[in-house]
Amino acid sequence: MSFLAPWALLLAAAVGVPLVLHLLRRRTGARIDFPAVRYLLRMEREHAREVKLKNLLLMMLRVGIVLAIALAAARPIGPLPGFGHPPTAVAVVVDNSLSSAAASAEGPVLTRLVAAARNVIDGAASADKLWLVTMDGAVTGGDAGTLRSALSNLRSLDGAGDATLALRRASAVVRASGVPAQRVVVLTDAQASSWTSISAEALGGVSATVVVPSGEPGPNRALTEIATEPLHWDPRGAVRATMRGTDSTTWRVVVDGRTLARGNAQPGAAIVANLQPIARGWVGGTVELGPDELRADDVRHFAVHIGEPPAITVDAASSVFLRGAVDALVQGGRARRGGDVLLASAEKARTPALLFAPNDPLKVADANRALERAGIPWRLGARREGPAPLRGAGVDGAVARSWYVLTAAGTPTGVDTLARVGASPWAVAGEGYVLIASAAEQSATDLPVRAAFVPWLDALLSQRLAQSSSGVTSVAPGATLRVPSRVDQLEAPDGSMRPVESGAQLEMPWTAGVHFWRRAGERVGAVVINGEASESELARLAPAELADSLGAESVAASAEGVAGATFNAGGSRTLERTFLVLAVLLLLAEAFVARRGLLKTAAA
Amino acid sequence: MDPASLAALGRLEVISRWIVDGLLAGLHRSPKKGFSVEFAEHRTYQPGDDLRFMDWKVAARADKWLIKQYEEETNLRATIVLDVSRSMDWKSQPQLLTKLAYAERLVAALSLLLIKQRDSVGFIRFDDQLRSVVPPKSRTVQWKRILTALGDPGSGQGSDAAGALAQAGKLIRRRGMVILISDLLLDSQEIDDTVHALRAQGHDVTILHILDPAERTFDMAAGESEFVDPERGDSLAVTPADVRELYRATVNEAIDEWRARFSGAGAFYEPIGTDQPFGVPLRRAFAARQRLN
Repeated sequence: MSFLAPWALLLAAAVGVPLVLHLLRRRTGARIDFPAVRYLLRMEREHAREVKLKNLLLMMLRVGIVLAIALAAARPIGPLPGFGHPPTAVAVVVDNSLSSAAASAEGPVLTRLVAAARNVIDGAASADKLWLVTMDGAVTGGDAGTLRSALSNLRSLDGAGDATLALRRASAVVRASGVPAQRVVVLTDAQASSWTSISAEALGGVSATVVVPSGEPGPNRALTEIATEPLHWDPRGAVRATMRGTDSTTWRVVVDGRTLARGNAQPGAAIVANLQPIARGWVGGTVELGPDELRADDVRHFAVHIGEPPAITVDAASSVFLRGAVDALVQGGRARRGGDVLLASAEKARTPALLFAPNDPLKVADANRALERAGIPWRLGARREGPAPLRGAGVDGAVARSWYVLTAAGTPTGVDTLARVGASPWAVAGEGYVLIASAAEQSATDLPVRAAFVPWLDALLSQRLAQSSSGVTSVAPGATLRVPSRVDQLEAPDGSMRPVESGAQLEMPWTAGVHFWRRAGERVGAVVINGEASESELARLAPAELADSLGAESVAASAEGVAGATFNAGGSRTLERTFLVLAVLLLLAEAFVARRGLLKTAAA
Repeated sequence: MDPASLAALGRLEVISRWIVDGLLAGLHRSPKKGFSVEFAEHRTYQPGDDLRFMDWKVAARADKWLIKQYEEETNLRATIVLDVSRSMDWKSQPQLLTKLAYAERLVAALSLLLIKQRDSVGFIRFDDQLRSVVPPKSRTVQWKRILTALGDPGSGQGSDAAGALAQAGKLIRRRGMVILISDLLLDSQEIDDTVHALRAQGHDVTILHILDPAERTFDMAAGESEFVDPERGDSLAVTPADVRELYRATVNEAIDEWRARFSGAGAFYEPIGTDQPFGVPLRRAFAARQRLN
């Protein structure tokens, strides 16, 4: 038993009052003349045993009254068997991640988890407080009816969700409830890839119960990787995917609602579909496997821009390496010569352009003036000498030998740092420009002479500088990303439009699919949402192992097991009222004994 | 009207008359009325004789003027024995009479009642010794003697009720009535023997047991206290609330014992509370007196 106000136990010292009175009762100072003392003496002589017993009983009752009041004031918490379970704050965490959609002989995992959650709700009393927490972090509170309704509408996510977030929110709501008895019930398939890294810290010290349905997951086929080659189709392109599984199955590729390719896939073998769609512009597509027990990971989405390659102009004064790379892109059909995108030194800045720092330090001032005129919020600062390694997508392994410190002019918005040298930005991108801190010369950086230079350049042209392109972003369900500049709408897979604010952080939905960025009514980029590949690994942790890692107890998914473990009938509860009632009962007993308690005995 | 309120209205003799007049007015006319007046003989009428005693039947039949002479006779000799020990001089509440004050008024009223019935009434006061002895007489002035005796000093430390009763028996030469008014806080065996002896002498014995209400119920407002017998000095520390029921049971047990003891001896016993109207004990005593005829 513990106490919320232990200092109040000092009141228990008052038990000394009836004790002292009892022990000193023969030493009282009050004297009263009473002629019939002989009757009192006779009473004491004839009923000495009853009188002593009554005095002792009264003393014990009075001590009990004082103790009960002191204990009630101390607000004790402890078990009270036989009176149901104490009021409990319970957060039921239902693991509705992608893997919960897997079907087995006993039915879909999620259905069984929902049934276990209903058992918890059915076992709750009116004094209990309940919340339902799902893997997307959503918290639903309210009465049993509200939670049952929420369970009825619960669906599996298309991704892993965030178990840590769910546990933290569950822990937070029960701790904020003010109810002394608190518990988090985790209903999960114990998927090893999701739960191995979760620790008890997420529960914040709240008692937890882990419920894992029985049974083992069956074999699962899944598409684990998908990529389009190249990023911009003209209109030819390819989709490459990887299947994981133990047996072969059929596959098909759907682009813009049309099935463009079919085939049979072998486990571990790459699926490659060379396509030439009719559609133009930004389009979405899927690669689909033949359905198995977990349908959600049999489909993976992709997006691609189909149309003419970007038109580029290379400044004649550019380095031979840059001109050579552009020739390669033009010959490969990845670009065409024209006037749209300028590839030049920064002193000739305009947009759209891929700009390199001038190799001659004397031209830095001209370059900065040109950048200012072009509205590009970056300036070239002090020159630095290397070599220093470059870090960033497509440039890892390259080094910078000389570069200028890129300094932001004002507070640039919608800016991405594509690569860094040390802690400083080396390649930055904004609306209609990419600025490189080194010259496109071998003396300034070895990137132009590396094999990665042409693909890097191709990616910049197609994703950063093509007029109609904000690029393709692949994210997991529920991810948060920044809205590209000058984008004003997000088009959902069902065609519905959602206004967005350029540069703002945007939380993506928890369903897989292809969303399109739109600018002035035109698609300018895509966000591809696919579930994490790890969700296709259905291997489970042993329930006890998961419970140990969470510092929880593990119980079977039976109705009795779940409700019994959640609402501990012998668990602790506030005993304040109990002791007050006890004090009142003792008072009544004291009054009864004092007035009538031993009358029958005496009369007998 | 409660005894204390009635006592506050006037002197002892006045109040006693009220009590007795009220009691007699409430009684039915007894067919035995005049029992104390019995015809003795005729004598010749002499001028000045009360014509009410003329035997008119003889005058009409024999033309003789004869006066009927009556022998006035008290057919009862009663002695009231009052305990005036210190234990009697106690009351539990200010608004009550002490047991002694109550008993004194009872003595006054009872003696007046008996004298009005042409009985001889004697009176004995005692504590640890005899304090007052008034031999039985039936004259009206006897009542004044008794009232005077009530004012004698007393309130000793003990109660020699046996001696007082024995003295009362000696005062009554032939079959009579002894009325003991006491709180009976005395030795039960001695008084029992004495009552048996009185009964053996042919006396009718009535015991009016005077009890303060608190002595019956122990309804004392005090907490843990030491209760002291002012007469004997015995004491006991108790909390009234804790032992009240046991005490009541003990007192009732004692009263039952007294009742059984006196009934066995052929005596009449009545516990009287000082909060009871005087009419109650008077009726009891009067009923006892009537049983003797």
